[in-house]
Amino acid sequence: MADEIRKPILDRLAALVAGPFLLGREAVSLAFRPDKAAPPETPPDLTPLRLTVTPPEHAIKRRG
Amino acid sequence: MKTRLPEHGPVETPRFWRTLEERIETPEARQAAHDEFLPGGVPSGINYDDVHGLPPQSGVSRRDFLGLVSAAAALAATVACDRKGQGTVVPYTKRPVEVVPGVANYYASAHQEGRRVYPVLVKTREGRPIHLTGNDEHPGVKGKTSPRTMADVLRLYDPDRLRAPKSEGWVVGWPEAESRLHAALKGAKGAGKPVLLISGAVASPSRKALLAEFKAALPTLEHLAYEPVAGDAAEEAAKASFGQPVYLQPRLAKAKVILSLGADFLNGEDPEALGAWGAQRRLKNAHDPINRLWVLEGPLTLTGTNADQRFPVTPSRLGAAAFALAKELAAKGLPLPAGSDLSALSTGVPQGVDIPAKAWTSLVKDLRAAGRNAVVLCGAQMPAEAHQAAHLLNAMLGSEAVAAVPAEPLATVKDLEAAAQKMASGAYAAAIFWDVNPAYTFPQAAAWKAAVAKVPFRAWIGQVEDETAAQCQVLLPESHWLESWGDFSTPTAAVLQQPAIGTLYETRQGEEVLLDALKALGAAVPEAYHAYLQARWKKELPLGTSFEQALHDGLVKVEAKASSPAFKGASVAAAAKRAAESKAEGLELVLFPGFATHDGRHANNSWLQETPDPISKMTWDNPVALSVQDAKALGVDEGDLVTLSLDGVTLRLPAVIQPGQAKGVLALALGYGRTTGGVAKGVGVDAFPLLGLDPTAPNVRKGVRLAKAGGRKELSRTQSHHRMEGRDLVRSLTMDEFAHNPQGHHHTPELVTLYEEQRFPDHKWGMVIDLAACVGCSACIVACQSENNVPVVGPEQVARGREMHWIRIDRYYEGELENPKVVHQPMLCQHCDNAPCENVCPVNATNHSPEGLNQMAYNRCVGTRYCANNCPYKVRRFNFLEYTAYKTEPETLAYNPEVTVRPRGVMEKCSFCVQRINDVKIRAKGDGRAILDGEITTACMAGCPSDAIVFGDLKDPKSKVSQLVAATRAYRVLEELGVKPAITYLADLKNPALEGGHHEA
Repeated sequence: MADEIRKPILDRLAALVAGPFLLGREAVSLAFRPDKAAPPETPPDLTPLRLTVTPPEHAIKRRG
Repeated sequence: MKTRLPEHGPVETPRFWRTLEERIETPEARQAAHDEFLPGGVPSGINYDDVHGLPPQSGVSRRDFLGLVSAAAALAATVACDRKGQGTVVPYTKRPVEVVPGVANYYASAHQEGRRVYPVLVKTREGRPIHLTGNDEHPGVKGKTSPRTMADVLRLYDPDRLRAPKSEGWVVGWPEAESRLHAALKGAKGAGKPVLLISGAVASPSRKALLAEFKAALPTLEHLAYEPVAGDAAEEAAKASFGQPVYLQPRLAKAKVILSLGADFLNGEDPEALGAWGAQRRLKNAHDPINRLWVLEGPLTLTGTNADQRFPVTPSRLGAAAFALAKELAAKGLPLPAGSDLSALSTGVPQGVDIPAKAWTSLVKDLRAAGRNAVVLCGAQMPAEAHQAAHLLNAMLGSEAVAAVPAEPLATVKDLEAAAQKMASGAYAAAIFWDVNPAYTFPQAAAWKAAVAKVPFRAWIGQVEDETAAQCQVLLPESHWLESWGDFSTPTAAVLQQPAIGTLYETRQGEEVLLDALKALGAAVPEAYHAYLQARWKKELPLGTSFEQALHDGLVKVEAKASSPAFKGASVAAAAKRAAESKAEGLELVLFPGFATHDGRHANNSWLQETPDPISKMTWDNPVALSVQDAKALGVDEGDLVTLSLDGVTLRLPAVIQPGQAKGVLALALGYGRTTGGVAKGVGVDAFPLLGLDPTAPNVRKGVRLAKAGGRKELSRTQSHHRMEGRDLVRSLTMDEFAHNPQGHHHTPELVTLYEEQRFPDHKWGMVIDLAACVGCSACIVACQSENNVPVVGPEQVARGREMHWIRIDRYYEGELENPKVVHQPMLCQHCDNAPCENVCPVNATNHSPEGLNQMAYNRCVGTRYCANNCPYKVRRFNFLEYTAYKTEPETLAYNPEVTVRPRGVMEKCSFCVQRINDVKIRAKGDGRAILDGEITTACMAGCPSDAIVFGDLKDPKSKVSQLVAATRAYRVLEELGVKPAITYLADLKNPALEGGHHEA
């Protein structure tokens, strides 16, 4: 009987300690986000995630 | 609202049929007609295993299922708390001057396919080209273009495009790649060794000038302009008849009688011809003049389906038939050109040509009566003697309906064979392949590849790495034509090509590669091709026209030059002898350019691959077509795998049975069976190995052997999809019927409705489709796909009846299996006033607008598909799978931002291009004026080259659409159901010479 009462208290204690620790770590990681540099052995990506769309040079538009 | 048919059958016993099964009335066809959908298109009975393409049920209990759903919901909620994927919204601060968000820009430009030039108008949104139409200022095309040109905007965003130069398989910069090319060219020049350059057709005067400068700087250069499906036989015949290469341009506006010898001039490639054809077929009353089209051909072509009189004739006998006609006309008094000798031929219908004497006499009479208003056109794939016979007939008639325009020479398959031999001998120091793929298109590909391997330096200029690129050391990525400069000659105007977008990748246009090479060889040339072009044009432009104005218009109008090369009568005797001796031997195979793929250059375009072939309705494949008689004799059924053998080449492919195809003739499309390209790879079989090396008839091969190979292939064919229970859907009249009884025995039933009459306060949008003008070219399908972000589903889904096109073209046969008449009917959402789909939607996702549009709220749709079941026209399309969500750039750049991209589980259908309606409404409101008639064009209407589709306001009694609705040929499909469709069809017209046509065309 005593064991059954003691166990939740231990769990609650663990949560009381771990909760703020995890939340704090998340908050710190948001404030100081490390740069995600690719590892040196990664080849340069030939395909950019977004393509740059540029207007044509010297072209004359009909209307718009 | 599935209407029960009366006990005695449909309102009218249908005389039209779409499939062989319907014609023969098999029990399966009868059942299928009532089933409406394909078995795969909708789950049937209680077996829901296949619903939504999910794997079969695993016997999960209800309790487990709910447990899993709860767990999934909890997991989804947890994942949703993640901060990943958080983007940043930034204002468009660095906006280019030309770009206004939400406002489309239009650029005039041009596209080339073989010798054909397509002046176009490019619509761009936020800098991205998204839609193409013809240039409305061009006097020839008048705002129309071809289906393949419209679809070519997708090639700009092809993910397979090469994005940077490569050398020996490694990505390198332009300086390094070009330095290798320049070193090879300088070495060749120094050693005096020849350099081979193979490019496509030269239709550009500036490209021609540049090539001349290149030749001057590198005297050992040998240039071949090669178009694998332009028709070597036509080229050979033109050289024989006119002493030089010519491009024969039909001028159908002047033609009263047209005789086609296997010529497919209505296949959508020639918008000018289609425009003229449509103008002569859109008759208001039976006394209007109409032309007459006679067709003699082997395979059934799109032109053949529009014929007034058609006779299946083996291609090898076409020349004999045409020369016999010439002899007959000469006997009737038409003068033969000097030096012409037809003594090798006997009079009358030649042997092996199955044309009744009465029809033959009538054809001769028609041609003679029309005189200079008659024209004879010959198909590019037909043998050279048939072309020469056509040239002779046109010369005898003095035809004004065709112009012989001098053209730059094209290399034939014989020239390529000679080049291969020279390569194999090690004569060339270098070879450059510019926008050509001979490693795929040359008939003896293995020999070609072995020969190319003997050339020390090989460079390739192109867009998507192909079979030829695989053999080259240096690959130079070429810009798409929408990123490039250029110019072209057309008979009525010089056309300018300008970029509509900056280059997406590290690409350059081929001319710039040549300019750099010229510089390396010591020539003084401008830095960029734009400057080169501008310098040339500033000298050529007429007084008062600036280069900028010409770019704005996309063209400079020129006076048509009258001088056409004269016909040489002396060439006739040899051709007539060849024609007389030519006999049909065994099965005769006709190899023709694929509707979707052309010579294979469009094979990586999924829009085109999924557009059904206008006649066979095949998608994603090129089965061999055989005649009904041959299929019966050989015991071949549709979808059976067969082997096709000739000269040691054997292909294994599926067969289809083509009504109307001449007995003893096989037809097979080129451009399939590619070994490269994400879309193209493995689709269909490569038929180029069957192409002959005789340039007078490479596309017509005799003595082909066909045998059943055992096994079947499921065909991704749409002709039997979306059935409408054999009701009275399509109407076709002869000219006599049009004059005397246009409504025929069709009766308009008295309509009784429980619904209130709908009121439309401002506008009531409607459409009229003239079946007499519609040739079935499918331009509307591609235009709609591009405009409305219609997804591609792939061959497996098409085979299950799940294609997504908002507009389809139903092709109906009428009459005999061996030579039926054909009617094409575009079918799209009819925007019914009493729409049966609206009543059954449980969430009101589909409803009626105050302007008569049957509209969809996609985010409200829950995918019950009740609406599709209840639609009598079968025009609703359901997203069974997620067809669009996994697309990324560059593919997504092709999307029209004005149209929602639909997710899985949502029903969609034609919206009458509501975004275009609203665009015009907003502009008219801004200008403080009313909407003008004809100002709103739906994509299908704008894309239709024969102007068969008219859209407008039915509330305006003066609008064109209102006037056409009152025409005597007008009818509404399934009017008897009382759904009040907003689309009116005008009955098809045929003008046969023998029964029921105008006595004079």
